[in-house]
Amino acid sequence: MSVLEATHQIEETTIRPGRSLGQDAVRRLARDPMAVGCFAIIVLYAVIAVLAGFWWPDFQTSINYELRNQPPSWAHWFGTDVFGRDVFAKTMLGAKVSMTVGFMANAIAVPLGLMLGVLAGYYGKRIDDLVVWFYNTLASIPGIILLIAIKFAFQNVVLFRDTAFAIDLTGIHGLYVALGIMSWIGTCRLVRAETLKIKNLDYVTAARAAGAGHLRIMFRHIVPNLMHLAIINFTIGFVGAISAEVILSFLGLGVDVGTPSWGTMINAARMDLVVGRWWEVIAACGAMFLIVLALNIFGDRLRDALDPQLRI
Amino acid sequence: MQKQENNPVSTNGETILDVRDLKTYFPVRRGVMQRVTGWVKAVDGVSFGVRRGKTLGLVGESGCGKTTVGRTLLRLIPASGGRVLFDGLDVFELGRRDIRILRRRMQIIFQDPVGSLNPRMTVGNIVGEALTVHGIARGKERQRRVGVLLERCGLSPGYINRYPHEFSGGQRQRIGIARALALNPDLVVCDEPVSALDVSIQSQILNLLKDLQSEFGLSYLFIAHNLAVVEHFSDDLAVMYLGRIVEMAASEVVYRNPKHPYTQALLSAVPETDPAKRKSRVVLSGEVPSPMDPPPGCPFHPRCPLAIDRCRVEIPALIPHLGCEPGHRVACHRADEIRPSTMTEIMKNTKE
Repeated sequence: MSVLEATHQIEETTIRPGRSLGQDAVRRLARDPMAVGCFAIIVLYAVIAVLAGFWWPDFQTSINYELRNQPPSWAHWFGTDVFGRDVFAKTMLGAKVSMTVGFMANAIAVPLGLMLGVLAGYYGKRIDDLVVWFYNTLASIPGIILLIAIKFAFQNVVLFRDTAFAIDLTGIHGLYVALGIMSWIGTCRLVRAETLKIKNLDYVTAARAAGAGHLRIMFRHIVPNLMHLAIINFTIGFVGAISAEVILSFLGLGVDVGTPSWGTMINAARMDLVVGRWWEVIAACGAMFLIVLALNIFGDRLRDALDPQLRI
Repeated sequence: MQKQENNPVSTNGETILDVRDLKTYFPVRRGVMQRVTGWVKAVDGVSFGVRRGKTLGLVGESGCGKTTVGRTLLRLIPASGGRVLFDGLDVFELGRRDIRILRRRMQIIFQDPVGSLNPRMTVGNIVGEALTVHGIARGKERQRRVGVLLERCGLSPGYINRYPHEFSGGQRQRIGIARALALNPDLVVCDEPVSALDVSIQSQILNLLKDLQSEFGLSYLFIAHNLAVVEHFSDDLAVMYLGRIVEMAASEVVYRNPKHPYTQALLSAVPETDPAKRKSRVVLSGEVPSPMDPPPGCPFHPRCPLAIDRCRVEIPALIPHLGCEPGHRVACHRADEIRPSTMTEIMKNTKE
């Protein structure tokens, strides 16, 4: 005991702030130039997505047949399209669509997957059977076909009709929802498995022994310990949603044909390549390539930084 | 706390925890339909008592069910049978509200100092959670109480906003102890609290537990696989093998006069510092049988050099034998003939 007291007296009694695992992860990401670079690209795209609409408000009507199909020049960095519109402006506006779809689809999918995964893993038995059966059924249908089917089903469907919050699911809103209900499965699977693991750990047992209720255990002990999965899935899901939007728009099932998006750009330009007009396809693909690359690398680095296995 | 007066099985004031014929079976499910095809009898009819303010050591090798005993009597695992009386309360009969009262009086300390602390919570929240859950203290008052607890467990109150990963193994175990004491319990189940620690840290933690016991009048159920650790710590000792207690007595009696062959084998494995006292080690052959398919008769007979035909059919009861001091009980058919040195002599003979 004398040893205890001795060590005890050396320690000062001022309360010093601790460093949480989250803060730790942020600090480590900030030291990683690759992660910082990718994060900067993602932020840049997000800023463009927000500002593009204000910068080029009348893009759709800026038709000028005298300028059509011009190759890149100082006046038009990425050249002009078949209507004589600036392809640079079109690409930036496409970023707006892609970033919004990526964000909205995951804002639906990740919380949904997280919630169902935790419930299934924690309560087990019937609830688990139901959730697992549900996502297995959903996962057994080829993704793109289901997506197309959902999009068709949403034709002329308006949620909250006749209210101020009416949401027309025919257009891009339908795309958010369709992608959202398609892509929660991955998150749900991971979260469920992790919940099964965490709920048997000693700190959960300790909480039970202390008399904590189910909600407290789920929200204070389980969810914080799998939030990193949600964050990682958000970045990875972002990539999936962006490519899905491009593919669907290319097929004519995504955004309205008139709306500038990378998918419609690639679709419109599919005849152009034959006659040597490469700039619109390259602009759309390049813009997409950069953001997908940045998201993938950032997601990877995020996983390394957040994974509690690597740091306890 | 009101006592259940009409309880048919009364406990005297001496015993705080009375466990009778406790059984915990886990179902084994197989196949597509998840049908129950068998039972793992992790704990199969265990009875013991913990005296108030004293320590009962529960020893046995890995997988013998000692951890399950601790968790079952805290109602963290459902029991399959038996009865646990805690200060006159029938633990398995408690409803949702009463169980919260039980939670305040019975606590647990875990083996793994890493897995037992939530890595996303501050020390203040980990230790103070129980205070919040039971509505005992919040805000500044809670912080003050947590500070006192930390200080009492040998940690600076200044650590309140730190996270578990910022501490060493011994410090984390102290946090776990502070958490268990937050509700001022009467009984603490110590589930191998020092097994994961360095030997030098082990004695510090054991001393801390001893000090806390005398200060707060705590009773301990001390689970361990290391007899050397238990020797100086426990007042009473129960040796478990394959879900059953094979020998039980005051700690000092077990060390001086072990009757069960298994206890003798365990004791011979304790390192002896005095070369003059060293005896030849008893090495048991074979593995612990699966608790899913325990051998008939005495569970120890496949590994016991003294086994006779009777051992293979009849399960021995935990009863006093010839030459036993009061309170000393052994579950062995041949306990009457066994002397403390029987097993080591057998080992010597087989070697020659």
